[in-house]
This record gives sequence, structure tokens and C-alpha cells, in this order.
Amino acid sequence: MTRRVYLDHNASTPVHPEVVAEMTPYFSEVFGNPSSVHGFGRDAREGVDVARERIARFLKVPVDQIVFTSGGTESDNFGVKGLALARGKGHVITSRIEHHAVLRTVQSLETQGFTATYLPVDEYGAVDPDDVEKAIRPDTVAISIMHANSEVGTLQPIAEIGRIAHAHGVPFHVDAVQTFGKVPIDVEAMHIDLLSFSGHKIYGPKGVAGLYIRKGIKMVSVQHGGEHERRRRAGTENVPGIVGLGKAVELRARDMHEEAARVSALRDRLWNGIAARVSDVRLNGHPTQRLPGTASLCYRHVESESIVLGLDLKGVAVSAGSACTSGNVEPSYVLVAMGLPLDWAMGAVRSSLGRSTTAEDIDYVIDAVAPLVDKLRQALPVGAA
Amino acid sequence: MRYSPTLVDHFLNPRNAGMMQLPDAMGEGEYAECGDLARVFLRVRDGRVVEARFQAYGCGPTIAAASLVSELAVLRPVEDLLHLKPEDVERGLDGLPDDRKHAAEVVTEAVRAAARDWLSRRGGDVQASA
Repeated sequence: MTRRVYLDHNASTPVHPEVVAEMTPYFSEVFGNPSSVHGFGRDAREGVDVARERIARFLKVPVDQIVFTSGGTESDNFGVKGLALARGKGHVITSRIEHHAVLRTVQSLETQGFTATYLPVDEYGAVDPDDVEKAIRPDTVAISIMHANSEVGTLQPIAEIGRIAHAHGVPFHVDAVQTFGKVPIDVEAMHIDLLSFSGHKIYGPKGVAGLYIRKGIKMVSVQHGGEHERRRRAGTENVPGIVGLGKAVELRARDMHEEAARVSALRDRLWNGIAARVSDVRLNGHPTQRLPGTASLCYRHVESESIVLGLDLKGVAVSAGSACTSGNVEPSYVLVAMGLPLDWAMGAVRSSLGRSTTAEDIDYVIDAVAPLVDKLRQALPVGAA
Repeated sequence: MRYSPTLVDHFLNPRNAGMMQLPDAMGEGEYAECGDLARVFLRVRDGRVVEARFQAYGCGPTIAAASLVSELAVLRPVEDLLHLKPEDVERGLDGLPDDRKHAAEVVTEAVRAAARDWLSRRGGDVQASA
């Protein structure tokens, strides 16, 4: 049987067995609506409360500043729109490499009369805090910068950007979906007002996430209905999901530091092994300020999807940096923003490692990549790409 | 797997990949929207293809389609290749997903161009010897 190696943890992760165990009773035994006053409801409410306490403890924030949502995309929409719409009109600052959940939210605000600045990034994919300061105008109502980009893994200088935002009195939203539970986050030291985080990137379930909202930050709801989540996010709580998210966060608090060191060493092993055997390959992103388990590599003159397919046929799951859909291929907007030439950007392949990744997995992938790239290059027309 | 075993086999074990020295004909196909490029080389004896090779840049199906065409072309009269259709290539690969139909198109374009190249070169020879 073909070995199977999962190196796509930035896309999603398997739910931790301890998380599954914690969630299971909440599907059929503790099924009440947490808004109900009777015992069934109170039991469900207790599960939600415990989860909120675990997350608040992890972030070192008061429990009433955590709001549960249905996913990272909703958290980002809520964070950015909630800030902007509460102020009615004005200017929003973000970067060109944000997740589409932020980029398209800001674009939608532009259609509603807001203006926006999309900051550039340097060759490593980092925003320059000076650019943030220069972009701030008297009517700037929100700044939204991600903690780390999912594709290249570069960590942004969030503390410095946050300091600038606060010095100018502008609320600061951070999309931390890729960093929460992987690297330390200190919302006080980093001057973060709103923080998006998600469950399924950290061995929790899909369909549940959260938004930290600093006390006193003026927000409006974007989803209307009942009085849930202190009237900030209407809709019956996804109780099993929230319970699972809370447990996942508790486990991350326990395992995060040790795993970061282990996974970081494996990421280096992958890069060094491939670089030793494949020519014309580069590691994207910042050399040190980066997510522990993310390795975005570009194979020059090779089309990324052919590598993804070749590895998939060897049982290895990675993701393509360029996507060919309906005969229309686009290189990653992140790599384009970083200034990568097309002949490199078209061959981007991301590996994202996780808690189950072993050294044997990495060696297997290196052994699979090297002959595959050789073979693809043998068939390559000179001057193509 | 969204691709057929035949397509996967051609992708993993491409036949006749690489350049041909001094070909009798050469043709290219390009799909600008996705940057795919296929190049087909032919060696011809007595009006029939005796050897075909290819170079390709693109997604897995494009490489597989080029490999298939390099087999399909052999022993055929060159004129036949002018009438090759993307559907023939798709059938030879046991199907292509809707969003990968261009793989057959780019490769068909290349092999037809190679056939035209040979016919025009032959025409030139005939005129020169007349």
C-alpha cells in the first residue's frame, strides 16, 4: 500500500482524539439550546462557558471579550465590517496579501462608499510598519493586517503595526487564523483590538471559530437575530463545535511550544533535503520570522499543479501555489505581491507540516519530489513558462 | 482520483518526452490563458510518421495528452494528423474533466501544426526538384 503523507495542515487538520472525546456528548446527550433556561439548556451553556474560559485564559483576556462564530471567514467579515460600519464611512488599511476573507470584505466596503489602501509587501512578504503609518489618514477607521500568511508563512511585525495604530487611535484587527495556537500571541503587547481565530487549523472541528473584541471597541453586528453572544453575533451556538474549539485551544496551550520546535526542524529538513537534490528551487517567505511548519517552495519552470498531481499519486498531499481553473491559470497573488517573476511563481508548492508529521514522512517526500521534478523538466520546452 | 488510469500512466511515464534532433517537422500549440505550451516533433518516411517526440509545459493532463499524441501519431500518414480532433485525444486518455479540456486542445493544435509544417516543407522540396 502506498504511504500517505499529509502536508497540508494550513488547509485543515485532523481533529485531535481528545477533542473528539470532549465533543461527543454534546451531539446527543447534552443537546439543549444554551439559551434555554431549563436544565438541558443550562448543561449546554456550561459547555460553551468552559470553552470560552479556556480560550480567554489562553489569550489572557476577559471571558466576555470572546465571541464565537462559524469560521475564520465570518470572524474576518465581522471584524472588518463591524469596525467600519460602526463608523459609517471612512478609510480602511489592509495589505495585498490578506486572505480573501479580508480582501473581499474590504472590497465590498469600497462599493459602499468606504475607501481603502492595500499596502505592498517586501520580497519576504512582510508589511513595512512605516507604510502603515504613512497610509493613516484622519478618516482611517480600521487597520486589518494578518499575523501570518497561509501560503508563505511570513510573520508580520504585528506589535509594531499595533503600536502605530494605537498611537493614531485607529482600531486594529488581526487575522490570526494561521498563527493562533501555533506561535505566541499577546494581544496587549501587540496592541491588538480584534483577533480572528479558527478551530480546524489547530486540530479542532470545522465550522467554529472566534473573534476577540477588546472592551470598549465600537462595533456593530453583521448578523442579526437573537440576543446570542451578548447581542454581538446572533444565532444558536454550535455547542459541540465550541466545546471542541475550547478543548483544542487547551491542548495547544500544552503542546504548542514543543511542537513548534519539532515541526520547525522537520521543515528545515524538508527544505535542505530538496535544495540538495533539486536545482532551481527557492524557499519563499522570511528566513526566520515565519510559521514553524510552513515551507513554500518554487520550482522554476515547472507548473505547480503537475507537481501536486505527481505527489498526490505517491500519496503525498501538498497544495499548489497557482491554480488552474477552467483553463485560466493565475499565479498566487501573494507571490506576485512579493515580486516573484512568473517563471518562479507558477511553480509554487506549499507544504505545511503538523503534529503527525515524522522525519520518515519528510524523507519520503524528498525522495518523491526530486525524480518528479527531473522528469517534468525533461519534457519541458526550452524557453517555456 | 479525477483522472483516468490511462491519463495517470501517461503523466507518470511519459512516452517520447524531449527534443528530437533534426526533425522533419515541428509544430507548437499554446493555450495563452493558462500558459500551457506543447511542441511536437515528427520524423517522416514515405509520408508516414515513424517517430514522434514532444515537449510540454503545463498541468498533468497536458503532459499526458502530449505523451498520448506522440504514440497516436506513429505509423499514420501525415495528412491524417491534419484531421486529428481534441475529442480523439480525450478519448485516448479515457476522458478529461471539463476544466482540463484545454489539454487536448493545446496538444491537437501542436500536432496539426507539425503536420502542416511537414506538408509545407515537402511542397518546398517538390518545387525545388522540379
